[in-house]
Amino acid sequence: MKKQFVAALLLFFTLFATNVMASEHEASQHPVSALTQSAAPTEEVSHDKSIWELLKSFYKTTGIYALTTAQENVVNGEGEVVDPFHQTWGRIIMIGITLLLFYLAIAKGFEPLLLLPIGFGGLLANIPYANMTGPDGFLGVIYAAGIHNEFFPLLIFMGVGAMTDFGPMLANPKTALLGGAAQFGIFGTLVGAAALSQFTPLFDFSLQDCAAISIIGGADGPTSIFIATKLAPDLLGAIAVAAYSYMALVPVIQPPIMRALTSKEERVIVMKQQRKVHRLEKLFLPLIVLGLSILLLPESTPLIGAFTFGNFAKESGVVDRLSDTMQNALINIVTILLGLGVGSKLAAEKFLVGDTLGILILGLVAFAVGTAAGVIMAKIMNKLSSEPINPLIGAAGVSAVPMAARVVNKVGMEEKPGNILLMHAMGPNVSGVIGSAVAAGVLISIFS
Amino acid sequence: MENMVAESVKYMILGMGIVFVFLYIMVLVLQFQAKLIAKYFPETPSQPSGGGTKTGIQKAKVAAVIGAIVHHKKCGK
Repeated sequence: MKKQFVAALLLFFTLFATNVMASEHEASQHPVSALTQSAAPTEEVSHDKSIWELLKSFYKTTGIYALTTAQENVVNGEGEVVDPFHQTWGRIIMIGITLLLFYLAIAKGFEPLLLLPIGFGGLLANIPYANMTGPDGFLGVIYAAGIHNEFFPLLIFMGVGAMTDFGPMLANPKTALLGGAAQFGIFGTLVGAAALSQFTPLFDFSLQDCAAISIIGGADGPTSIFIATKLAPDLLGAIAVAAYSYMALVPVIQPPIMRALTSKEERVIVMKQQRKVHRLEKLFLPLIVLGLSILLLPESTPLIGAFTFGNFAKESGVVDRLSDTMQNALINIVTILLGLGVGSKLAAEKFLVGDTLGILILGLVAFAVGTAAGVIMAKIMNKLSSEPINPLIGAAGVSAVPMAARVVNKVGMEEKPGNILLMHAMGPNVSGVIGSAVAAGVLISIFS
Repeated sequence: MENMVAESVKYMILGMGIVFVFLYIMVLVLQFQAKLIAKYFPETPSQPSGGGTKTGIQKAKVAAVIGAIVHHKKCGK
């Protein structure tokens, strides 16, 4: 009777906590099949165990034990052996970092739509025994379904296309060049990262790694994820977190650079009111952009194709249902999946490495250089052009739509109340999206 | 690996070059397009604003009807 009771109790536990109940030995040998195999053997052996032994073996399957005691031959989702530090303190630190991401997303409003799912994915990825990042795990399935094959970033880009209004750029096409200048953040950082890797012992990145890191300077989340998956999948977690964190920090990073590079007279320049844009111009724009990328850079067409499709659907005016889905339902679903999938790369053994610090620093440099290049280009254009151009709008050339444009507007208003630069800054801002997609295409074509 | 910097400088020149060429051609095409459209479809820009006033009139009508109903009901009581 007693034995039956114990067996029933044990069955109860095994059913309700199958993944936790996997003994560490089994978990280490068959990380994936642990879930299915754990129930049967434990039950059989259990008849000879005293309650004390049962409690002891149960304790060994708890998170408390796993997070405090490192074991040998523990493998992660990809089958690589995890060293003791990353099994114990590493996981605890990572859980702390994900809590920090929650804090930033919720209390500080830092890109909550992405940092919250990424943070939670990271939290789940650091749970011992559960193996959610493995090929059959919850996060592993999401990663394989849409990030490994670069599918989700493209869907996001489609939604961004459907949300983007190119009117301000069409009203003053010349400002589109500012979106190009800001891409110097990408390529300047590429050179800097290569130099640091070659001449200093600080970093040891390959050229591919450098390219994937420097794309953070494009200030474009989906593009960063797209390129990182292609060129340096191991660095994806850190690159995505850096890209989205810095995009959220645009209001902090950009204004000092903008003020340092411009004079008071330049900042108070009032720009001419924009002309009205014909509906047909907006309709043809996605086709023109796609046509140019087909002719010049077919490698960039996955990104630009998805983007222009979204924009074309919006501007056509006849498929509002589709464009509405792209802008709302679809992009929301994909954002959830993308966040969780990227979060799976926040597992301690992937994130808590020296490279991550390098990525965070280089990403910040890329952002700053991009902003500076945009402002300098705008200063040059202001000197050469017959119409006045406020150099501040150059800072909006880094994509980060519409945050960068809002920051420009704010700085402009501080200098001269009533000087509304928002629409003028939206031009470089949206062309920055095209610019960074083109830059991404160049990098892909170089390394493929 | 020895000439990583030289390689990356080449990538930079190529990359920035293509980004600028791309955007510059885009600007030229867009300016040309704006001229063409302004020449051949000059009347259409006024259409959206026309539509706007139409809905404006409709809104005003609806408001007037609602006002009349409210007034009618109040008087009825």
